[in-house]
Amino acid sequence: MHPFLEPIVAKFPEAVITAEQDPVRGDLWLQVKADCWRVLAKFLHDDSRLALDHITDICSADYPDDQDRFEVIYQLLSLSHGTRLRIKARVSEEESEIETISDIWRGANFLEREVYDLMGIRFIGHPDLRRILMPDDYEEGHPLRKDFPAEGRGWRSRFDFLPKLDEPVGEWSEAEVPDDQRHQFMADDRPGDKKRTTEMLLNMGPQHPSTHGVLRVVLELDGERVSKAMPDLGYLHRGVEKLAEGLTYMQVLPHTDRLDYVCAMTNNYAYVRAVEKLIGMTVPERAEYVRTIIAEVQRIVGHLFWLGTQALDIGAMTVFFWTFREREVLLDLFEKLCGARLTLNYYRIGGVDADLTPEIISTLREFFKTFPDHIREYDTLLQKNRIWLARTKGVAVISGEDAINFGLTGPVLRGSGVAYDIRKLEPYGVYDRVEWEVPLGKDGDTYDRYWVRMEEMWQSVRIIEQCLDQLPEGPILAVDAQVIPPPKPEVMRDMQSLIHHFIIFTQGFKPPKGETYCGTEVPKGELGFFLISDGSSRPYRLKIRSPSFIHMGAFDYMARGYLISDICTIFGTYDIVMGECDR
Amino acid sequence: MDTVIRLGLTLSQIGAVMVAVLLTVALLTLLERKVLGWMQDRMGPMEVGPYGVLQPVADGLKLFFKEDIIPAGANKFMFSMAPILSLVPALIGFAVIPFGPDWTVDVGGVDFKPFVITDINIGVLYILAFASIGAYGIILGGWSSNSKYSLLGGLRSAAQLISYELNVGLSIVGVLLLSSSLSLVTITNAQAGGFWNWYFFAWGSFPQAIAFVVFIISSVAETNRTPFDLPEAESELVAGFFTEYSGMRFAFFFLAEYGNMILVSCVATVLFFGGWHAPVEILQGPESLHWLTGMFWFTFKVYGFLFLFFWIRATLPRLRYDQLMRFGWKVLLPIALGNIVLTSIFAYIFP
Repeated sequence: MHPFLEPIVAKFPEAVITAEQDPVRGDLWLQVKADCWRVLAKFLHDDSRLALDHITDICSADYPDDQDRFEVIYQLLSLSHGTRLRIKARVSEEESEIETISDIWRGANFLEREVYDLMGIRFIGHPDLRRILMPDDYEEGHPLRKDFPAEGRGWRSRFDFLPKLDEPVGEWSEAEVPDDQRHQFMADDRPGDKKRTTEMLLNMGPQHPSTHGVLRVVLELDGERVSKAMPDLGYLHRGVEKLAEGLTYMQVLPHTDRLDYVCAMTNNYAYVRAVEKLIGMTVPERAEYVRTIIAEVQRIVGHLFWLGTQALDIGAMTVFFWTFREREVLLDLFEKLCGARLTLNYYRIGGVDADLTPEIISTLREFFKTFPDHIREYDTLLQKNRIWLARTKGVAVISGEDAINFGLTGPVLRGSGVAYDIRKLEPYGVYDRVEWEVPLGKDGDTYDRYWVRMEEMWQSVRIIEQCLDQLPEGPILAVDAQVIPPPKPEVMRDMQSLIHHFIIFTQGFKPPKGETYCGTEVPKGELGFFLISDGSSRPYRLKIRSPSFIHMGAFDYMARGYLISDICTIFGTYDIVMGECDR
Repeated sequence: MDTVIRLGLTLSQIGAVMVAVLLTVALLTLLERKVLGWMQDRMGPMEVGPYGVLQPVADGLKLFFKEDIIPAGANKFMFSMAPILSLVPALIGFAVIPFGPDWTVDVGGVDFKPFVITDINIGVLYILAFASIGAYGIILGGWSSNSKYSLLGGLRSAAQLISYELNVGLSIVGVLLLSSSLSLVTITNAQAGGFWNWYFFAWGSFPQAIAFVVFIISSVAETNRTPFDLPEAESELVAGFFTEYSGMRFAFFFLAEYGNMILVSCVATVLFFGGWHAPVEILQGPESLHWLTGMFWFTFKVYGFLFLFFWIRATLPRLRYDQLMRFGWKVLLPIALGNIVLTSIFAYIFP
């Protein structure tokens, strides 16, 4: 048994059913009894030998033929030990409930709601167990259950809650929100403070110029001060996880482009890494370099996009156009590389689709000659601008401890001074072969997060330049006839290749039975894919751990007490993209 | 007969000024987008006419033919009144601005000043008074729309205008002390002779440079421009107080905003930069051409200030509501007061 698991088994011998380490992939996991879960969870969080302080994800799986039908799967991470642990608990269909852990890890709040919404498992003691991605009054069941058809139930036009086109528009009512419904978006009514009965309810979104997509936040305002902020998600929910269950592993790849459509490359990367970990595949060296280079270029593109929109949210419009000017150069580069500009679909399981040509490399080097000047140009507008400092310093402060507790990742977590970067903790690609640093903030305010992202752009430049210098020759795609389609000329000539090609494209490859979690550092944080394979050519369950969704869980905590203007700043500082948040 | 001639002359003067102001507004909408475009490394409007010069015409036509929507639950009377209430004060202020030399011509026995509609002896107070009435248009527009975003925009503007009008008023006091007059014509005449006589430099007395800075900052706030555009902060309040307006009513608010911009630029020119006077006497040309060079220098200075407005908009982010208030009351107000004290002392010692 892995030494990390020993204290748990010693302390809870009857709660733990299995404690194992995946021999191939190295994942640690526990199977525990559902009714002991809460006590165990507290121990996992508090005990210094484990210190599993960061909640990465909560996921659920449905096994209709088993006695205990549902499985709730928790992904935990110990930042001090750098160890991940997966805990699984089974619940039966009749009493599909398990105790909540949302008071131990506050980030679990939204995650548990998602599990409840999509799988119908109730969490006892959860403060606000409502649907989160599906509409509040959705009555067609829980979509991720296996008996729920992938094409959905009924047609959109038959749902009662949607207005019909041929119906006359309803009468306008005198009160915008009827009094009895006024607080339905609120988790709880605070005890009656007589002076404070006149908060205004402001509905921000889903159509609003600065909510970064179709995000809706219901704000309870005391004057202009926010006393409560309730995010209402799901306007862009497309059921990618459900769709993936009906697709082969290769066919899922284009769907990942549409998650965080601003940074499609890194989404591809996160997904192919998860699949490669599942099937245990190694990637040729040149492909690793190319992947790292392109992922870092994408990080620069993502951060440029973030800088532009963050500045625009705060009212500085020029930065937006300037950053888009540089972004354009890099998008042109992507176009040369793979033919697409936004939804790129460039990474392949086992490598990448196209090689870096000398032309692309020289464009890239040319770009880096002028890029530092451009960053300095943004700095002239922002770095020392008193208004910018006043709008970002001390706004939306979150301490490192809280940030971990909420499960935040990426620049949002690093802005609070927590050195968690998957590229350092679990190096992938060639990040361990180049020199770079993880920039850290101190105060955990918007300015620090701004600074961290600006520094990350510099670091990305460093990484790419070293990678370009070291770039070896070689193939860009692994050779594995069972998994990777053979090159086209061979398919035309060679019978065996033709058969492989035919099988891969008609049936897909079949990974071994198993499950794995793989997190990748994307510009917004940790994008994780959790895959369960039942040995067939389609994923049995695919869970996407999207950073934007988890960050929205901390929104209320970070927004309280600030002004309406700061709400826009917080949207910007999270760098949320709703395609990824709602999936 | 005198009355008829006077009426005719004044009406034609008003007509000329209105046409000039409205044409300038049309030009400004194009200029602003062009200037912002150049600063932001793009072209600005290019589609309508050569280099997009007909864009204002297209915009005007679009606004004119757009459906006029009054939201359900809006107070219809107030909703219709608000744009007028904000446009009229913006235009009426031009009545006391001297655009050229202080000439008096005799037309049919009537004394007529061709370059100022009316030279009343409380010109500065008149402008300040009407500027504050403009705030009603914004507040009522925000309140009557029955929209929370509009309401918030209206309330913000109420607080903002009250705080910054005070600073505008106080920053002018220094100039009034030096010129001992409230008439804009007298103030302009007192700055003749060269740029060192302009109250911005005020050779031999206390320069009003600090007052000018306070005045410009406060006027940017008065006209709801970036970085003080909180009442219409588009990333927070969609469009602020005119979120629910469309068509001509929207155009009225738009005209009012740009009219105000031109007005404060004119006031700044007159009070601090010598009005129609050239920086040095030679550039003013012969006496008979003063009307031409005077108008030129006046327009030149006004467009300089307008460019400054655009420049600020391209450069700065927006302030937050509480920061705006703090800045107005805790920074600008003491500076303006200090300026009054110092100017008074200087004016007493060097009369």
